[in-house]
Amino acid sequence: MILIAPCLLLSVAVIGYPIFDVIRMSLFDVSRTGMVREFAGLTNFVKAFADPVFLQAARQTFVWTVCVVGGTLLVSVPIALILNEDFYGRTIARTIVLLPWAISLAMTAVVWRYVVNGDFGTLNMTLAALGLPFENYPWLADARMAFLIEIMVGILVSVPFTVTILLGGLTSIPESLYEASAIDGASSTKKFYYITMPLLWPFMQIALVLNVIYVFNSFPIIWIMTNGGPANRTDILITYVYKQAFAFGKLGNAAAGSVVMFAMLLVFAIVYLFLTKAQGARNDV
Amino acid sequence: MSKAKKSLVCWALLSPFLVVVLFPYATMLSTSLKQKDEIFTFHRTWLPRDFYLGNFAELIFEKGFGRALVNSLAISVGATVLSLAVAIPAAYALTRMRVPAKGALTNYLLITQMISPIVLIVGLFRMFAYFGLVNSLLSVIIAHSAFFMAFAVWMLQSYFATIPKDLEEAAWMDGASRFSAFVRVFLPLCLPGVVVTAIFTFVNSWNEYAMSLTLLRQVSQQTAPVQIAFLTGTLYQIEWHLIMAATLLASVPVAIVFASIQRYLIGGMALGGVK
Repeated sequence: MILIAPCLLLSVAVIGYPIFDVIRMSLFDVSRTGMVREFAGLTNFVKAFADPVFLQAARQTFVWTVCVVGGTLLVSVPIALILNEDFYGRTIARTIVLLPWAISLAMTAVVWRYVVNGDFGTLNMTLAALGLPFENYPWLADARMAFLIEIMVGILVSVPFTVTILLGGLTSIPESLYEASAIDGASSTKKFYYITMPLLWPFMQIALVLNVIYVFNSFPIIWIMTNGGPANRTDILITYVYKQAFAFGKLGNAAAGSVVMFAMLLVFAIVYLFLTKAQGARNDV
Repeated sequence: MSKAKKSLVCWALLSPFLVVVLFPYATMLSTSLKQKDEIFTFHRTWLPRDFYLGNFAELIFEKGFGRALVNSLAISVGATVLSLAVAIPAAYALTRMRVPAKGALTNYLLITQMISPIVLIVGLFRMFAYFGLVNSLLSVIIAHSAFFMAFAVWMLQSYFATIPKDLEEAAWMDGASRFSAFVRVFLPLCLPGVVVTAIFTFVNSWNEYAMSLTLLRQVSQQTAPVQIAFLTGTLYQIEWHLIMAATLLASVPVAIVFASIQRYLIGGMALGGVK
């Protein structure tokens, strides 16, 4: 027990206390300097839900999460399948695919911000060299285009982790199943649908839930590339909360937003626990 | 289909994604070797005019980026040491001893790992402000350790479980105390697992942005990722040649280390992820 105490203590102090503090702030009237005044009930939540920017950020969070997670899975499954094949240079290919994972999200965001820079970026430079009319196209000036690019960067950085999980799943499929089905005369499409997909599905579920959790509160990409702009059209909940707290000093609002996000995260985490439990039970049988 | 032919098809199918992954690296490399006037002209090319290394010198000696690298290093080493110091005993107890409410404990750790620090950043900031630790590297070390510890416990546990119990029991028979059996017999055996976990924690801490941004509010204390992002926020002309040199400096060593442990990650993730 003594061995676990330091670990628990650190975690309760640094994670537990802020949870308590944020919930408390969300229910009280908090001054700009952070003085907790009187109990305010749900006023902070009512105010947040009445703020059109909050609602817009919530909608955008939904689009952001669905697009990045869906896109990641669509890209990762074929990549994992290819990387599971035996071919020349597979180790090099794996290393390149996993590279984005090793780099700070903040630095990835900075580099991409430069790549798509209208006047000096290397994307326009390359497109122009190919004879395409993108000499000075300002990619991040239009909110829709900016959001789309952020989603693509989001997918790019989520692929390595997802491919890793899927590869772990693919290597756990016994070769004997494929051999048996080959004897029974199954085509490779049939093998894919009746062996690979069903056995990979639990891993896809786990990748899906974990990605929802990570992407839902991913901060650096949007913060650095557009700062939620132009006109809050690329804000998601997390950048909204950060601005409320550290730019506008509306701590009560920020706390209410945090609590909403925290509750959603908790739901995802519980879904994840159930998924892994269910699979653990199935593996034991 | 022969293996050579298959390899060609595999590489061809992967190539669109690989190009997107490598594009930013090509950008970093090309831009960091250019001089300022080469970037802000109309006729730009991928190849730098002459491979100019002055950006790196300017960055470190004039812009204070060396300081940021040192800060990052101090924080990452501190966070790695602290989180391993608490995670190793915890993981040992969880795999080798009877622990009350073990299930609840592992679930709790798993959930803390999923909570992004940024959701709690307001509370976190207030807590460290109360203790007067804002603008102190120590606050970031403590915060990083707390948030990366759960993953360390998780990875270590999966390694510890693979070490046969007989070896320690043999040491006890020979009269070793539990502690000396742990230090002399158990730890050396799981050294590879500990090293991989340490590297992973180090890389996570090195790359972390939101907590470092919020808790360290003076330029002299910024970590490398924070300073790089900070440099893009200037009102006048953004010095992209310097920024790209900075990202290259801050990312390539970490990427190499990370690539060296990737095959352990695939095994460890699969073990931990589905169990």
